[in-house]
Amino acid sequence: MPPAITVKDLRKAYRFSKRGRGFTGALAGLLHPEIVALQAVAGVSFEIAAGERVAIIGPNGAGKSTTLKMLSGVLEPTSGEAQVLGYTPWRQRKSLAYEIGVVFGQRSQLWTDLPVRDSFALLRRVYDQPADAFANRRDDLVERFGVGGLMDQPVGRLSLGQRMRCEIVAALLHGPRLLFLDEPTIGLDVTAKAAIRDFIREQSLAEGLTVVLTSHDTRDIELVCERVIVINSRRIVLDQPTDQLRRRFIARKLVTLQSQAARLELDLPGVTRRPSEPHTTVLDVDTRQTRIEAVIGAALALGGIEDVTVEDPPMEEVIHEIYAALDH
Amino acid sequence: MNAVTTYAAQSLAAVRTSFADRTNFALQVAGMAVNNGFWLVLWFLFFAGFRQVGGWRLGDVARMLGIIYTLFGASTVFFGGYRDMAGAILRGEVDPLLTQPKPVLLRLLARESIPSAWGDLITGVAILISSARLDLGGAGLTIAAIAIGMTAWLSTSVIFASLAFWFAGARSLSRDLMDFTLMVSTYPASIYSGWVKIVAFTVLPAGFVAMAPVGLVRNPSWPAAAFAIGGAAAYGALALAVFHLGLRRYRRGATPGS
Amino acid sequence: MRSTPPWTTRTVSTLAAMGAAYRVGLAAALAAWPVLLGRAIFYGVCLMVLIAFWDKVGAQRLAGTLAVRLPPGGLGVYVGVTEWITLSVPAIQLRLEDDIRSGALEPHLLRPKPYLAQTIAGEAGGMSARLAMLAVAGLLLLTLSGRPWPAGFGLAYVAVLGVIGATIGVLLYTLVGLTAFWLRRVLPALLIMQKLMFLLGGLFAPISLYPGWLHDIAAASPFAAHLAFAGQAVIAPSLANFAGALGAQAAWFIGLCLAIALTWRTGLAKLMKEG
Repeated sequence: MPPAITVKDLRKAYRFSKRGRGFTGALAGLLHPEIVALQAVAGVSFEIAAGERVAIIGPNGAGKSTTLKMLSGVLEPTSGEAQVLGYTPWRQRKSLAYEIGVVFGQRSQLWTDLPVRDSFALLRRVYDQPADAFANRRDDLVERFGVGGLMDQPVGRLSLGQRMRCEIVAALLHGPRLLFLDEPTIGLDVTAKAAIRDFIREQSLAEGLTVVLTSHDTRDIELVCERVIVINSRRIVLDQPTDQLRRRFIARKLVTLQSQAARLELDLPGVTRRPSEPHTTVLDVDTRQTRIEAVIGAALALGGIEDVTVEDPPMEEVIHEIYAALDH
Repeated sequence: MNAVTTYAAQSLAAVRTSFADRTNFALQVAGMAVNNGFWLVLWFLFFAGFRQVGGWRLGDVARMLGIIYTLFGASTVFFGGYRDMAGAILRGEVDPLLTQPKPVLLRLLARESIPSAWGDLITGVAILISSARLDLGGAGLTIAAIAIGMTAWLSTSVIFASLAFWFAGARSLSRDLMDFTLMVSTYPASIYSGWVKIVAFTVLPAGFVAMAPVGLVRNPSWPAAAFAIGGAAAYGALALAVFHLGLRRYRRGATPGS
Repeated sequence: MRSTPPWTTRTVSTLAAMGAAYRVGLAAALAAWPVLLGRAIFYGVCLMVLIAFWDKVGAQRLAGTLAVRLPPGGLGVYVGVTEWITLSVPAIQLRLEDDIRSGALEPHLLRPKPYLAQTIAGEAGGMSARLAMLAVAGLLLLTLSGRPWPAGFGLAYVAVLGVIGATIGVLLYTLVGLTAFWLRRVLPALLIMQKLMFLLGGLFAPISLYPGWLHDIAAASPFAAHLAFAGQAVIAPSLANFAGALGAQAAWFIGLCLAIALTWRTGLAKLMKEG
């Protein structure tokens, strides 16, 4: 079976004229524009097989969203080639549109003041879906994703988590073969994120849906995707199955403890202390060596603990580690 | 045909949305109707004192206002997305539309319906019914004039809004340009001459939005019809060209906000 | 415990605060110079249409109509003056409506300086920038048009009456904004005010052309103090008219300030009681 997505040396540079300051600057800018080129994507190549679930991750400004926009037909690349489901996205945008679903975390495709039900009905017309088949599919998705109770509410009144669930259902109503998700869990609370991750994974497994999502949340990779492409500074720096990446880089947690004592003494394997203020202890825990419960248990045993926070290491650190590993 | 039914469905959805807050809707419609009524009263007072201007009398101005209110009202009720199209472009709201199969421009026009425009529509139709000739020919000509004017008005608005593909200040500029065009349109065409008239037929095409269609109703003739239709069609073509040029620029990533 | 300073000290410090607010408003308006430029262009387009209209009316000079009473040079300069004032007045009612409805008023009420005076002063600062910009634009257009400039001290009278008139406009819009204490939206009050300004202020046509009874009503209204007097100063500039107009403006200025103070107190009392 041919790959769902093939990308060869795709590049994108934004060109804009630098704006001068004040009135004279603006006038000078009109007469003698200083053109600045900003490289957003500096040559990426990869293939994604049909039915694969791939995460494209990287820090802000790395080029993830730009890559996704090029693959979904929103942006034209400066150079390079890509084939998505057999179409060149920026040339065959409308044909491709029938086969893909896209969810932009920040921008909605639903009608804000209309009930969800009406938005779905309008999308049926946008995608030229026959009424019966559409109704069946809609009902199935609504039930599976549990948005039945939201159908009569205006989209604008939904919480962010509820809205994202409806956006994903909306993107799947026309039975696409490929789903693009740009930061789908951004701004959501833990429960909402979990619901969305579960849904995407199950939907993909049930229908052989190819999923490409961008994120800077490492849990999105762990729980949804089988493969991760890391983009940093506009290039791909790593392209690996998720379990390999997890073993290498995401087995760490940061535990922050607020205590009555100015300093806590904890000596556990794989646990290193990070610099912090008095009464605050930040521990870098390698969960392969010591589990989080053990660390928290040891801390609580010392007594006088006022607050405990457990977090993933920041994305930048993961990337940094990746770089460090690549240097070797 | 598909595009037409899809458009109709979206436009009607936008209209239904505008009804959502009943009190607000009623206030807006009533407010606009009163506003338009006030202008009529002023013109009545003016002609009481001055009798005519450039050969135009109260009846002529009333008919002109009837046509303009109707075409503006209909445009803004059923294609109201043009009003904040520049804003939508600058906020990047075109992205989701690009991932869907239907034409982007139609989606942008159908997304909103402005409640107060019903006040314009109602006032306009009321004026036309009370002041225009009631025979079939007169009615047909008036409807044609409204259709021509709507085409020119929407085309002009699309051109102004498309400036947002090029620069960020276009949001307020496009609003101003639309206001200017309307302002120029709502005075008797006979007052304009020289370079002002040139501006009124080109940069701010009040000429094709109002003057030519109204002129067609006042003095129907085949040349007048050809001029009005030709002008509106030319602006329509220009609007499509400018929008698609702008959209290409947007898709190259050269637009502020994309 | 600190005792309240005497009213002289309070007045001086209030005036100082108003001065500071005025300077901030002015600086902000100047910094947003593209907006000022846009307003000047708007002014130009308005004039283009209105002058074409009145020139046509004036050129015809139909007997038995009011056209014979139009000034010999037409109404071009008159329109320039009335639009100059109208387009310079800031939309203070929007700011007041926002602050009153959103509760943003509360932190200001806790401060020792009076909110309303400072707000008006700030808006007046922005208005000064607009008055200056549009005056430059107007004079430029007048020069380019080749029309005769107003005779004698006409321009000086216009400058004084125009600036005071614009300030009266701010006070009128302040009253509109204060209706937000009672109405949910100030829009209906605004629309009524604008219509009255248009008709009785002479934005529609010089009030000297109105029938006697309407002229008297207009001349006795604050709207004439806002617009019509400054416009009349280019049609019939004279020291006597100027002095009379100035007197009327002074009276309305004081009257409107009192009305605003009363409305503000009443509205504030309502807000404190009901929240």
